[in-house]
Amino acid sequence: MLSLELADISVTFPGLAAPVLAIERLSIPAGGRVAITGASGSGKSTFVNIVTGLERTHRGRIDWSGTDLNRLAESGRDRWRAAHVGLVMQDFHLFAGLSALENTLLPARLARAASAEIVERAHYLLQRTGVQRPEQRIETMSRGEMQRVAVARALLRKPGVVIADEPTASLDIESGEAVGSLLLELADQEQTTLVVVSHDKRLTDRLRRKITFDLGRIVGDTGLMEQAA
Amino acid sequence: MIRFIVADLRKYWLGSTVVVLIVALAVALGVAVTLQERALRLGSARAADKFDLVIGAAGSENQLVLSSVFLQASPLPLMDGHVLAKLAADPRVAWAAPIGFGDSFTGYPIVGTTTALVHNLADGLAEGQVFAREGEAVIGSGVALKLGDVIKPMHGSAEEGGHTHTELAYHVAGRLRPTGTAWDRAILVPIEAVWDIHGMSDHEEAEAEPDHDHEAAADEHEHHADADAAITETWDADVPGLPAILVKPKTIADAYKLRQEYRAGATQAVFPAEILTRLYATLGDAKRVLFAVAIGSQVLVAASLLLVTVMHVAQRRRQIGALRAFGAPRGALLAIVWLELFVLVAIGIATGFGVGYAAAMVISQAVVDGSGVAMPVGFAREDIGFAVTLLGFSALIASVPAILAYRQSPASALRG
Repeated sequence: MLSLELADISVTFPGLAAPVLAIERLSIPAGGRVAITGASGSGKSTFVNIVTGLERTHRGRIDWSGTDLNRLAESGRDRWRAAHVGLVMQDFHLFAGLSALENTLLPARLARAASAEIVERAHYLLQRTGVQRPEQRIETMSRGEMQRVAVARALLRKPGVVIADEPTASLDIESGEAVGSLLLELADQEQTTLVVVSHDKRLTDRLRRKITFDLGRIVGDTGLMEQAA
Repeated sequence: MIRFIVADLRKYWLGSTVVVLIVALAVALGVAVTLQERALRLGSARAADKFDLVIGAAGSENQLVLSSVFLQASPLPLMDGHVLAKLAADPRVAWAAPIGFGDSFTGYPIVGTTTALVHNLADGLAEGQVFAREGEAVIGSGVALKLGDVIKPMHGSAEEGGHTHTELAYHVAGRLRPTGTAWDRAILVPIEAVWDIHGMSDHEEAEAEPDHDHEAAADEHEHHADADAAITETWDADVPGLPAILVKPKTIADAYKLRQEYRAGATQAVFPAEILTRLYATLGDAKRVLFAVAIGSQVLVAASLLLVTVMHVAQRRRQIGALRAFGAPRGALLAIVWLELFVLVAIGIATGFGVGYAAAMVISQAVVDGSGVAMPVGFAREDIGFAVTLLGFSALIASVPAILAYRQSPASALRG
């Protein structure tokens, strides 16, 4: 499980006067269950990119249990992300022509991390997420099934944190519920920190802490109130 | 990774096929030009191999070689017949054979000569025997006649509106083994018979250009020719005028001496190989032009490939970005994009070599059918260099989109 400490984060884009994301301090403890909400353009996606190391800031600190992403070079961040972050995205990003199992294993295989143990774990995770036929071609699956394959892929390498970016936005209500439950159950079972970016209230209400973004700033954090209380 | 590339190529199979085809055609063009040029060079050099020294009347060297080695009909000036007698008696000469052209039969040139040439042209006879009488003929391996068939010589060729000789008909007595030269399509007959038909023997005075006057003369009177007359092949000073004599000198030194001796005055002596080398030098320029065209087409193909692949990578920004977001190392993505394109181009190059080879074979077969000159199509050591250069170049081309994919930011790729 990983904890996150953000300090002095400011992301600006050329041509924009106000920063798209500005966070003075934010702390997420290991094992936290955090929902990030906000309107589109509130800086949620930038937040995901920053804390996963997909994008870098030139100032401040992004400290995951002692590893400051701002001090890592690009390939270092890639390696760190591969080993510690499980990503689930709105658009699944699964690859047609490959089976559910092959999709689950693809990033690990490309990183030459697919040991026999990992392959076995892929089988287990697909079973656990309710994917009936791991050999089935991904493009023949329903969207709900696809997102479950994506969840299995995210958990494959036992990440310290699972970050889900609008995981239910492209699913119907029923599938969305199922994927939400799966994320919460598996985060408990696999003991990872869970960060869910979503404006799906049915999903965010199920998480212990809710952080609200607006215009790149944190405007609400139920966790702070808890700490204060 | 391989599975991923295969799945990816299958997804874009149409585009992949087109890329392979374009590369294959461009490569095939270059390969065919190279192979065909080499085949022409080897084939004609081999054709000239048997003919160490050719002696004829002073005139065009090229024409003398083309007529004697490749049997391309052209009116050659005649030299004095006593040259043959002199050569036959020369101790430096292994054998000397006169050749006389002018007649043909259903498109095959009829060549008057002696048994010396028949014995030395090919590795012996495939069937039958060498001619012994004036009415007998030996055919090349490529002549579509059987033993015993009757050959009615036609003066000139049918295309030129020649007339058929009535004085004499030959019977096929033997067939030579294949030589891979123009002589495979020739009908060899005793030169005495040719002289008889054309009214040049029996001490009838050979005029300056009897061949040319002959057409008129033939209409006026029949020349005497006896099909059963045994051939003697003894040359006295009254041998009629000859267009060419093939000479086999005993040693290389003899060859040079003989050439020196017969170069002056009314005769010329040439080494066919030397004349051909000069002709190749001219051909070489044509080859360079063709090859430049082939290279140009390959450059165009390379440019269009670059365009296609850069677009391809642009279309797949999201896919590449996602793979990185999920933890695929940049090096692996570089390898995927590079390998995918390189595999396509390599398949195209391999196919191109196959197609080019097949095309060269087809062209060579057409040449064999037309002239009898075998054109051996084959790859040589330098082709490996060509293939390696192509592969190296495609490896370079493939790295452009790979580096583009490597450099793009995953976050912006996912946004786009």
